[in-house]
Amino acid sequence: MRLLLLFGIALLICLAIQTTAPLWLPVRALLPNLVVILAVDLGLRHHGVLPAAMAFAMGYAVDVFSGTHIGLNALFMTLVYLLTYEVSSRLMMTNAIVGAVAVFLGAMVTGASQAGIGLATGASGELQAMIPALVVQAAVSAALAPAVFSILARLKNAIGLRAKAERE
Amino acid sequence: MIVSLHMLSTRLGPNAVESWSTAILFEALRPFQSSVTRLGEGGIGLIHDYLDLVNVQRENQKLRLELARVTTEKTHLAELEAENHRLAELLELRQALNLPAVAANVIGADATGLSRTLILGQGTDSGIKPGMAVVSVQGVVGKIIAASAHASRVLLIDDHNSALDAFDQRSRARGIVAGVVDGGLIMKYVGRTDDVKAGDSVITSGLDGTFPRGLLIGSVKEVGRDAPGLFLNVSIKPAVDFRRLEQVLVITQPPPQPPGGRKTQS
Repeated sequence: MRLLLLFGIALLICLAIQTTAPLWLPVRALLPNLVVILAVDLGLRHHGVLPAAMAFAMGYAVDVFSGTHIGLNALFMTLVYLLTYEVSSRLMMTNAIVGAVAVFLGAMVTGASQAGIGLATGASGELQAMIPALVVQAAVSAALAPAVFSILARLKNAIGLRAKAERE
Repeated sequence: MIVSLHMLSTRLGPNAVESWSTAILFEALRPFQSSVTRLGEGGIGLIHDYLDLVNVQRENQKLRLELARVTTEKTHLAELEAENHRLAELLELRQALNLPAVAANVIGADATGLSRTLILGQGTDSGIKPGMAVVSVQGVVGKIIAASAHASRVLLIDDHNSALDAFDQRSRARGIVAGVVDGGLIMKYVGRTDDVKAGDSVITSGLDGTFPRGLLIGSVKEVGRDAPGLFLNVSIKPAVDFRRLEQVLVITQPPPQPPGGRKTQS
């Protein structure tokens, strides 16, 4: 319940930032995908059905504020969670660098998939042309990831949640 | 006693002060009196100066606060004036369109930055529903795709999922204006024999049942004739700077269909 509450509030803050920051950011590609960071944190440290459902719900919340295909971000956020979960369960230890790499890959895959699905459904343009913007966005997200993980860890400690990997 | 009475009786005349003893005393005391007076004046002046300084400092602080308040007020007034100007322009546009419309504020943008959508601060409570056209003074903005009681989302015309029926204002060549995945706007399905030139204005045809006829979409930026195929590659420069949008107009009633027009997909 505490995890749900914490990530619910974090999600609202992340969405508020993500939907208002583009209005004053000089370049759209600089907008970080903060929700991917939340999904990666869940995947690295919270294992079970509830965190997986939370990752799906977070993706769905992003869908409400982005694009036209409802369920697309929900799908990819769940995939990001599952992949991070798999990685964390196979590694001896997980740290901020592992998390940042996972965020980078997660943001890249999510962005490229959205563009790819757009192209597959008849949109014009080239996926290659989007790659630089996707790399920048993923890099910005990865750069912010350690700070977000640290804030989440402190908040988890404050409310009595274990910050290390555990089954919910 | 007798001496003093004598002195009193003999010095009661008009030139009484001019005696030598009086003069000596006057002269002897004068430097001291002057110094003490100057010192006193100086001290009083210093106190006055200090008090003035304190007052000036207070006044300065007060004036600084006043200046800050006036500057803030001026900025606020300038902002209000700009908003008033924009709303007046929107009102003019609404009158020109002759269709019921609602002004709405832009409060957010797409959450991932990968799609081109905006969030408006007005929703179904203001009469906004999905499918309604959104325009600005500069031209066509997009279409409402979702709405709640107090907010709604607009799919911008440069999103890759957006398409609207349009034609070249000069040559009347028709096509579908659509967004491109990697950004930008193109006009699709323009025949190779159609007369389309860079700089031509592209306007809505009104045939899609969403946008009224004759609204400016943008201008032709480039016409590519080199690539093979049945159609021209026409890239469009949007009339609206989507990043600078603050207020838009949502047309709450579908426009009347042009005579002989048929509804197309958008």
